[in-house]
Amino acid sequence: MRSAKSRTADLFAAAEYRLAESALPTVGRVGALPASIPAVSSAPPSRTPHTQASQTPATHPSRPQRRQLWYAVVFPEMVRESSAAVLQQLCLHAQAFTSFVSIEAPNALLLEIRGSVRLFGSLPRLHADLDACWRQLALPARSATAPSTLAALWLARAGDLEPIEDIEALAGRLAKVPLVCTAWDDEVLQTLRAMGVTRLGELMRLPRAGLARRLHPARVQDLDIALARQPAPRRAFVPRERFRERCDFDTEIEHVAYLEKALEPLISRCAQFLLERQAGVQVLQLRLRHRTAPPTRVPLGLASVTSERRRLSDVLCQKLRRLELEAPVRGMELISGPLRGLPASSIDVFAGFAGAGSRDSAPQLVERLRARLGEAAVYGVCLNPEHRPEAAWRRVHELRFAAALRPKAGMIDQSMPRPVWLLNEPLPLSKPEILQGPERIESGWWDGKGVARDYYVASLRVGRKPAPALIGHLQGEGHAPSHPHGIRLWVFQDRHSKRWFVHGVFA
Amino acid sequence: MGERQVSLVDILADARVWKLKDASAAPARPVWSTGKSSLDARLPGGGWPTASLIEVLTDETGVGEVQLFLPALAACQRNVQDGREVPWLVWIAPPYEPYAPALAQQGIELGHLLVVRPSTATEALWAAEQALSSGVCAAVLLWLKGTDDRWLRRLKLAAEAGGSLGVLFRPERHRFESSPASLRMVMSRGEHEVRLDLLKVQGGRSGPVDLGAP
Repeated sequence: MRSAKSRTADLFAAAEYRLAESALPTVGRVGALPASIPAVSSAPPSRTPHTQASQTPATHPSRPQRRQLWYAVVFPEMVRESSAAVLQQLCLHAQAFTSFVSIEAPNALLLEIRGSVRLFGSLPRLHADLDACWRQLALPARSATAPSTLAALWLARAGDLEPIEDIEALAGRLAKVPLVCTAWDDEVLQTLRAMGVTRLGELMRLPRAGLARRLHPARVQDLDIALARQPAPRRAFVPRERFRERCDFDTEIEHVAYLEKALEPLISRCAQFLLERQAGVQVLQLRLRHRTAPPTRVPLGLASVTSERRRLSDVLCQKLRRLELEAPVRGMELISGPLRGLPASSIDVFAGFAGAGSRDSAPQLVERLRARLGEAAVYGVCLNPEHRPEAAWRRVHELRFAAALRPKAGMIDQSMPRPVWLLNEPLPLSKPEILQGPERIESGWWDGKGVARDYYVASLRVGRKPAPALIGHLQGEGHAPSHPHGIRLWVFQDRHSKRWFVHGVFA
Repeated sequence: MGERQVSLVDILADARVWKLKDASAAPARPVWSTGKSSLDARLPGGGWPTASLIEVLTDETGVGEVQLFLPALAACQRNVQDGREVPWLVWIAPPYEPYAPALAQQGIELGHLLVVRPSTATEALWAAEQALSSGVCAAVLLWLKGTDDRWLRRLKLAAEAGGSLGVLFRPERHRFESSPASLRMVMSRGEHEVRLDLLKVQGGRSGPVDLGAP
C-alpha cells in the first residue's frame, strides 16, 4: 500500500528537481510514446518527464545539456546495403530500454538513457543489460556511454567502453580517441594527418579560429557537440505501425451482405487500435481470400484522416455493396495504410449530442459520394490567377476541409461580369446583339495557347440563327427559340480571324 | 353500417387526419431573402424556404435560373456565426461547368462548393438525397431531365431531415405532374423579359411574378 503513494511522491520530487535543474518546459509528446512494446508503455511514470526532456534539447541552446546521457552502440560488421532496415529492427529492441532511440547512419544507434538509469537500478547494470541485448541477437557490437551524442559515438568506435557520466571527465577521455573514429571525410583526415594531428586531444589544443578556417566550421561545431558545449538535437525513431487483422470464416461466404456483418468486428477493432494511438488513417485495404483464386483487393481512400468507426464502416460497406464477388470468400484481412496524426478539430466530445444538423461531417459525405460515384465524379472548383477565361479556374480533387481560404480581394475582378456556366469549348456564332462590352483579353502568348479576344455580353437573337448545336444545347428540347429576349451569352470576337464565338451562358 | 356514432375525437385520432395545429406548432423555419423584393413579397416568410424542396421548371439554360438563387446562397455562406463551419453547397449534374470566377464574383465561397457528376439519373438522385440529409450542406442544386414522384418525396424528406434547401431544375413538361415540392415555379422567356410563374406556393399565393422590379 505504501508503494503507490511513495511512487507518486517520487514522481513529483523528480519532476520538481528536474524543473529546477534545467527549467525545461513541461510540454511534450506523451502520445508519441510507442505502445508497440509493452515493456515501454507499462514503465513507471517517472520516465515520462524525462522523455520530454530528451526530446526538446534544442529549446535551450544557450545552456549545455547537463542532464543528458547518451549510449551509443556501433555494429562494425553490419552490411551497408541492408543496414537501414536492420537498424530499424534494432530500434524496436532498443525501445525496451528507453523511449528515445535515434539512428546514426550507417551502422550505429544512439539512445538517451538518463531517465532509464533509475529504472534499471544503476548505470553499469543498464549498460550490461543493453550489451546483453545485442549479444542475444548475435550481433557484434561496441558501445559507450557519455554525456554527449558524438562523444558516445566516437568512444564506441574507438572501443573505449568505460562509461563516462561527468562532463568534466569528457575532454580527458576524448583526447585519446583517434581521429579516424570521427568518421569525417577523408580529405579532412588527410589534411590533419599532414599537420601531424592523429588524436582528438591534439586537435583540441589547436586554436579554434584557425581550425575553422583550415577545415570547416562544422568540424569545430562537432567538437563542441562532443564536449557537450553545444546541444545537438536528434530525431527520435518512431516505429511504423499498421493495423492488420485477419478473420477466417467457418463456411464460405457468397453474399456481400454477410461479408458486411463479418466485417463489423474488424472495423471496431481497427477503430479501437487507432483510438489508442490517437492516430487516424486515410488509406485502407480489404483483402478477401478465396479458396483458389487470388485474393480480391478492395482499396479504400478516405477524404480525410479519420479514426471514426462509423466513417470507416460507411465507406467499406459502400464499396462492398458495389463489388461483384468472383468466388466465395473464405476469409478476409483488413490492412490500414500508414498512421497519421489526427487533426485536433475532428475530436469533438459533444459530436454525438449536437442533435440534428451535425450527424455527418463534410468529409464523410464526400467519401460516401465518392465510394459510389467514383473519385473523379466529386470535385471542387477554385480560382486560378490567369487572364484567359478557360484557365482562370480549375477542378480540385484534394478537398480542404479545414478553414476555407478566402480568395484575396485582388483575385476577384468585379469590373466585368462573368457567366455562371462556361462552355468546355467556345462554339462558333454569327454576330450577336451586343449588350455590354468590350473587354479585351490578350494573354498566354508564352505557352502557345495565346488568345486575343474581345469579350461582350450579348443577347441571343432569333433572326440570324446561331450555331444549331448551341441552340440544341440551350434549348434542351431542340426547337427553335420563339422569343428574342432572355438568354444572355458571353461571346467574344477573335481579333485575328474576326470570327464570333460563344463562351459562356449567364444563367 | 352507419349506425355507429362517429365522434370528433375519433376523427382526430385517425392518423390520416391532418391537423392545422400541428403545422402551426412547428417552429418557423428561417427563410433566405431572394434579393428581389417583388419575389420576396410573394413568398411566405419573405424569402426562399429552407429545409424544403423547390422545383424550377424551365426548358432553357440562360434565363437567369441560377442567378435567382445565388444571392441567397452567398448570403447563407457569409452570415455564419463565429465558430460554426461554413455550410457547403452541392451542385449535382449541372448542365455546364460552373465557372469559378463568376461564382467568386457573386460571393460564393468556393472552398465549400462541391460539384458532383453522376453518370445516371438514379445516381444523381441518390447523391442529392445523401447531400440533403447529411446536415452539412446549406443547399443542394440538382439538374435533372425528369424524375418520378416517389423520388421527389424522398428528396423532400431528406431536405427536411438535413435542414437544407433542395433546388431541382427540371424541364417544363413536368408542370402538370403532382409534386411534393413546397414551391414550384416555371421560368420561361417572355416577349420582353424572363417570366417567372409560381405554380405552387405552400402558404402563399400562386401566379406570375414581375422580375423586372428591383
